[in-house]
Amino acid sequence: MEIRIKSVSKDFFSEGKKIKALSNVDLTIPANQIFTLLGPSGCGKTTLLRCIVGLETPDSGEIAIGEEIVWSKEKNIFVPPEKRGLSMVFQTYAIWPHMTVFDNVAYPLQTRKESKEEIRSKVEKTLRFVQLEGFENRPATKLSGGQQQRVALARALVPEPKVILFDEPLSNLDAKLREETRKELRSFLTELKITAVYVTHDRIEALSLSDAIAVMKDGRMVEIGTPKKIYFGSDHRFVADFIGQANLINGKVAAIEDSYTIVDSSIGTISCQKSPDTSVGNAVTLCIRPEFIKVMEGDTSEEINIFRGRVESLLFVGDAYEAEIIIKATRLIIRIEPTAIVEEGDEIALAFDPDHCFLLSK
Amino acid sequence: MLNTRTALTPSLIAIVGFLTVCPVVMLVFGSFSEGIGAFGTFTLEKYIQSYTDPEFANIIVNTVIFTIGSAFVATLLALFLAYLNTRTNIPFKFVFRIISIIPMMIPHILFSVSWVLLLNPSNGLINLFLRQIFSLENSPFNIYTLEGMILVEGLLDLPIAYLILAPAMAAFDVSLEESSKVSGASNLRTLTRVTLPVLRPAILASFILVIVRSLASFAVPSIIGMPGRIYVLATHIYRIIATGFAADFGMAAAVGMSALAASITLIYLYRYLTSESEKYVTISSRGYRPALVELKNAKYPLFGIVAILSLVLIVLPVLVLFYTSLVPYSMVPSAKAFSMMNWKHWLEVLKDPISLLSLKNSVFLGIVGASLGVILSIFVSYVIVKVRTPAAGVLESLSFLSFSFPGIVIGIGFMWFFVRTPLYATIWSLLIGYIATYLPYGIRPLTSAFVQIHSHLEESSRVCGGGTLYTLRRIIIPLLIPGVVSGWILMATMFVRELTLSVVLSRPGTEVLAVQILHFAEDGLWGKLSALGIMMIFISSTLVVIASLIGTKLTKMEEDS
Repeated sequence: MEIRIKSVSKDFFSEGKKIKALSNVDLTIPANQIFTLLGPSGCGKTTLLRCIVGLETPDSGEIAIGEEIVWSKEKNIFVPPEKRGLSMVFQTYAIWPHMTVFDNVAYPLQTRKESKEEIRSKVEKTLRFVQLEGFENRPATKLSGGQQQRVALARALVPEPKVILFDEPLSNLDAKLREETRKELRSFLTELKITAVYVTHDRIEALSLSDAIAVMKDGRMVEIGTPKKIYFGSDHRFVADFIGQANLINGKVAAIEDSYTIVDSSIGTISCQKSPDTSVGNAVTLCIRPEFIKVMEGDTSEEINIFRGRVESLLFVGDAYEAEIIIKATRLIIRIEPTAIVEEGDEIALAFDPDHCFLLSK
Repeated sequence: MLNTRTALTPSLIAIVGFLTVCPVVMLVFGSFSEGIGAFGTFTLEKYIQSYTDPEFANIIVNTVIFTIGSAFVATLLALFLAYLNTRTNIPFKFVFRIISIIPMMIPHILFSVSWVLLLNPSNGLINLFLRQIFSLENSPFNIYTLEGMILVEGLLDLPIAYLILAPAMAAFDVSLEESSKVSGASNLRTLTRVTLPVLRPAILASFILVIVRSLASFAVPSIIGMPGRIYVLATHIYRIIATGFAADFGMAAAVGMSALAASITLIYLYRYLTSESEKYVTISSRGYRPALVELKNAKYPLFGIVAILSLVLIVLPVLVLFYTSLVPYSMVPSAKAFSMMNWKHWLEVLKDPISLLSLKNSVFLGIVGASLGVILSIFVSYVIVKVRTPAAGVLESLSFLSFSFPGIVIGIGFMWFFVRTPLYATIWSLLIGYIATYLPYGIRPLTSAFVQIHSHLEESSRVCGGGTLYTLRRIIIPLLIPGVVSGWILMATMFVRELTLSVVLSRPGTEVLAVQILHFAEDGLWGKLSALGIMMIFISSTLVVIASLIGTKLTKMEEDS
């Protein structure tokens, strides 16, 4: 089911100060996609999620789930959370400590007064799906973090909702488990054909799980796009920087050629990906990610986008060196093959992949 | 919904504020008044009269020695036990848990009486026994001394000291000690230069809390101190209102003011120290256990000491009472004694109208008082934990205020109040006083219960399709029940045994168990006293069992539905 959010705003008052949690958010979440709300803490992503599910009421605007308007200031509509037919996985999992695994998962069905046999068969099926067979009679609190997480997921899946909401569900797991669970979650959700709204501040999670990502900042939508669009060609400086390591270089458009836009910058003239809405003379910010800067050896006169710099520092991180390079007083971060023979203080030649030098419009 | 919520906090502040502030205000006014009948006519006479009394200096000296002595006994014993339990490989560790909890369940007045029965100079069982064996002319021990009071009060306050020190020791980061040893310090040097200094705030906190408790203590000073004519502040106040020609509530209030001031000051010091100790104690988040000290040969001798201590703390008092309730007069256990045993004292108690009335009153106060107290505690805890406005903070401070009030002093304050109301000399005056004084006992377990109910648990139920009432029934109430049950048990057991407040507020017709026991003690009717005492322990235990059963049943019911 599609979720439509129209000019939703919400303010919080904390210690006498007004904080804009959401300001005029417009968003359409397409049906049967995994849609991620990404942003730093305090950007309003969780507030938006809680407004969708009905645990928070906005100050203005309208929210519709499918055909039904669940909240509207103007039309004076408020559908309480228990009537919205959504499911949610909480950051803390919100497993009820006084119940067994079975009762936790059966709860949504019990609220609808379904028959006992039906409940039993549905719960069993769902527990099998999340690989928790045989855990029915365990007290829910006696499970590990990862298992509790799956109980929470099972409870969200069991009523077969059209929309399921996730509020940072992996943030309480340790790094290794988080990676595994992320993969599992992705395969569960793809299999189910369900609309999933996923809130996180973790960029890897957002990139690997989502069909679409909406990046938020200070209660506003900054940019919406596919993971690849957001990573390789975001329009905003904030988004480019937030989604991954980025070298941001200021410059001015010098010429627009057939295949590349030429930018004059503090490190020299750089050929960049073409960008539709720039013209000669515009001040621009250019973004290139560390993995698209290569160390060159031998003759480099034939190539374009070659710059010479000095290695300022080298940090061995296992699969690569993370190096700081100074090119004409501009500091850049690059990744160098771990087997390369490079030392601090070396002068090296670097090639910037012109197809991955992109201009930020905002 | 919003309106009822906003109205809840102020009304609770009004109720709790009345319960805790009213007796203090009345006490202050009373101390400046000419008498309980002439309230509000300002005079300093009562202060002059009580503080220029030549005996008053003596009472202060006694009080200081008594409280500090008890604090030493309790804290040193608790340190010893806490160290053995948390840091060594001593066997049978479950015993420590029993030692730390059970003495709280034995009423202080009965504990004191049992020591009198063992060690009083004329017919104390241990004294009689030693005199028989060594053919002594005089009793070797006399409990009716300051030392006797300190010993018994110290043992009574041991659990409190232990409950402060044991967690502090368990949370102690051993790497602090290890780094001292690595630096070349000996075990002893490490203990004196690292371990004890790091634990110092906790040790001081325990010390101060025991001082506060012994300052408020009435059982030991009345049962052990008064027969030996050793008076401390609490018994001095009691003497002013309960003995002599005329009760002088003005003077009692004036004396009470100094006990109250001392107590509040000490509690502030305690609060400061506990916040300090939280800063000090390094809790390891990796959850590793401190290395245990291998006791080797000392293991069983040390456990022997612990076993004797638990015997003395738990088994002996009950045994002595039971024995005394069955023998016609004090005698060393022997074949003759056992042949003379009968239920005479029990039957006499059950025929004594005042004892029966006190039984009835105490059971009523236990059940009705604890139920009302828990209901109030539920609302107060809800506001403290879930509402979290500045007003909720005010409510929190108010509701824990009564911790620092000595019971007898609060009783005097309430007396000044109740005399002016139709509640005077009714069971309801006792009930209100009890709830006011013991409110923290209900609030503590309930705040922990509310803390456990994370808002997500509630919200999750809403999202799953449970409406407000459904959520209340299936999630909130079942999670609250354990807190409700422990709050009720704590309050009910405190109410059934209540002494310090009751000696002031109880009037003819509203006698309660502990006051009746005190009267038996004053008249030396040890047999009847013991019989009534055992009944009191039996009633408390029955209430505990019933409450736990109902609690389990309710939780089960919620799950089945």
